[in-house]
Amino acid sequence: MNLNEKIKILSDSAKYDVSCSSSGSSRKNKKGGIGNAAPSGICHSWTPDGRCISLLKILLTNYCIYDCKYCVNRSSNDVPRAAFTIDELVNLTINFYRRNYIEGLFLSSAVCVSPDHTMELLLKSVKRLREEVNFNGYIHVKAIPGASNKLIEETGKYVDRMSVNIELPSGESLKLLAPQKTKESIIKPMGLIKSGIIQYQEEKLKFKSTPQFVPGGQSTQLIVGATKDNDLKILKLSESLYSSYKLKRVYYSAYVPVSNHPNLPAISGPPLLREHRLYQADWLLRFYGFNSGELLNEENPNFDELLDPKSGWAIRNLDKFPVEVNKADYYTLLRVPGIGVKSAQRIVQGRRVSMLDFDDLKKLGIVLKRAKYFITCKGRYFPQKSIPTNAVSIKNRLLLEDNIKNRGNIEQLSIFSLFPGIMDGEF
Amino acid sequence: MLYYIYDGSFDGLLTAIYDAYYNKDFPEQIVPQDSFTDNFLISKVYIRTEEEKSKKVHDAVLQKISRRAMAGIMYAYLSEDENAGISILEYLRFGFKVGRTVDSYLADDRVNNINRLVTKVAREKHLLAGIIRFRLLHNNIYYAPIEPQYNTLCLLGKHFADRMSDQIFVIHDVKRSYGVFYDKTKWFMSDIEMNKDIVLHENELFYQELWKRYFDNITIKSRINPKLQSNHMPKKYWKYLIEMK
Ligand code: SF4
Repeated sequence: MNLNEKIKILSDSAKYDVSCSSSGSSRKNKKGGIGNAAPSGICHSWTPDGRCISLLKILLTNYCIYDCKYCVNRSSNDVPRAAFTIDELVNLTINFYRRNYIEGLFLSSAVCVSPDHTMELLLKSVKRLREEVNFNGYIHVKAIPGASNKLIEETGKYVDRMSVNIELPSGESLKLLAPQKTKESIIKPMGLIKSGIIQYQEEKLKFKSTPQFVPGGQSTQLIVGATKDNDLKILKLSESLYSSYKLKRVYYSAYVPVSNHPNLPAISGPPLLREHRLYQADWLLRFYGFNSGELLNEENPNFDELLDPKSGWAIRNLDKFPVEVNKADYYTLLRVPGIGVKSAQRIVQGRRVSMLDFDDLKKLGIVLKRAKYFITCKGRYFPQKSIPTNAVSIKNRLLLEDNIKNRGNIEQLSIFSLFPGIMDGEF
Repeated sequence: MLYYIYDGSFDGLLTAIYDAYYNKDFPEQIVPQDSFTDNFLISKVYIRTEEEKSKKVHDAVLQKISRRAMAGIMYAYLSEDENAGISILEYLRFGFKVGRTVDSYLADDRVNNINRLVTKVAREKHLLAGIIRFRLLHNNIYYAPIEPQYNTLCLLGKHFADRMSDQIFVIHDVKRSYGVFYDKTKWFMSDIEMNKDIVLHENELFYQELWKRYFDNITIKSRINPKLQSNHMPKKYWKYLIEMK
């Protein structure tokens, strides 16, 4: 089989993995070597679905011994199969990299022969790239559940990021859709990678020359909409992954119907809006100081598809508003709908030299469309005929504005988070 | 109306600023000679670029304002915005008055004008770091043509020299007819005059095909959203993208 066909088959099955981030590592180039990592990550192109291409995202092979119902590569599925030789893979990576097509490699694999066999091939590939070709660009590798500790730890020494995809957010869902996998087989490698990272960070403080171990951190992916699990359950899981497993990122992937197995929901398209809401909530957990209990609870276990999670929270907590822009502390500002990290920073910086009014906020680049219902400047609301102050009318106004903008184009919402945090750095 | 006209170089611009202070006569515009159109209301002062003057301004900015301010005016200059020159002068006058804290005055137009330009240039710089495409030529040189909106190429020399440290390359700003060159030891800039057609390496098209194949294939068809694509990667940059052909 020629390389062209292999690429087709092996990228086809990798594309549902949404992570493409190349951020978080500052690996340097070596003498006579090729490549380095940019801590902020770099996107190299955007596909017609609007997603960023940063890494060459590909499977080593799609021959699989498992039969996970939601997956195109399941053993019972009749699809063309292929496998790269290590030489082919290395060659492809280097040649793409030299032409600046990519930031590095995201190597994954179906489970071929056995978890250990597969992991060994992954290890061999990255070792070849680092040691023989002197490649110092970004590498993200999947850890295969069920592979031995030794192999996983060894692999961690060569890569920038590692991930184990949880995919299904509960034990019951696993039983239903991926009966050959267990919760334990997924959690174990995650724990292993976590301790490896902690150990590396501690030793680095003592010895500068400590060999790197997964410097870009660990991530995982959850499928949204293939099971009955609600948003609360998913968000709670993410929350504990961030706190107990020190994950860098949790990715959410709207389930794309690839099979009509009776255990799978019959949906016509991926639940993109739901995925988008989860990403928004995830940001609120990581950068805005929210916890999952503030955003959802047992009575309301799913996000309002029409309203972003922060606005939803604000409307339920109107007693905390309005917030005076010139006085509120940074974290209070962050909780105002429409004010993001960058805007809050600018406000804090700008008010150091003078009191801010609404015109100043505009000059600071702060979008008042949402924020105006929740803030005052020098004690006054935004100068507009009537600023509603009760929950129902604020909500209606927000929805109205959204609808005007997004009419008939809900997909447009399925944005951001799929590309590394760019454009904010530098300046 | 008093116009300062300089040679278009960064040193020239800093010299103009030096002269403005020295003459205590602040112009209404500072423009590069290439983009200057005369009319009879304008009184012109032609600036003679002097490195010594430019260095003095440079040192003063670092000392009395900040390193960030220096980088800021450099970026603003590279934006080639028609008001860049005068915006820089106004920003520096304000900066020399208030010192280090100048960049906290985010709502002040003098600061805001510079920041707007800086953002544009910084954004393009980051974008170009990703979307520059090298082609391997028959003589083993990696060649990348590009037409940036702003004059950002010079900001990318170090990035690519660090990264592709074992390959000889040229990044060619086709619009401005200059390039960033790297010879495996150092990078430098030089004018480029194209008088021969480029000849590709025999393997080049093979990899271009593979890349296109990969690009087409990684798209999730049920999520097609061309608008989102061109928001991230505006069409004006597509001309030299292998995957967009
Ligand atoms: S083990 Fe991975 S590749 Fe194999 S069927 Fe399950 S999800 Fe798909």
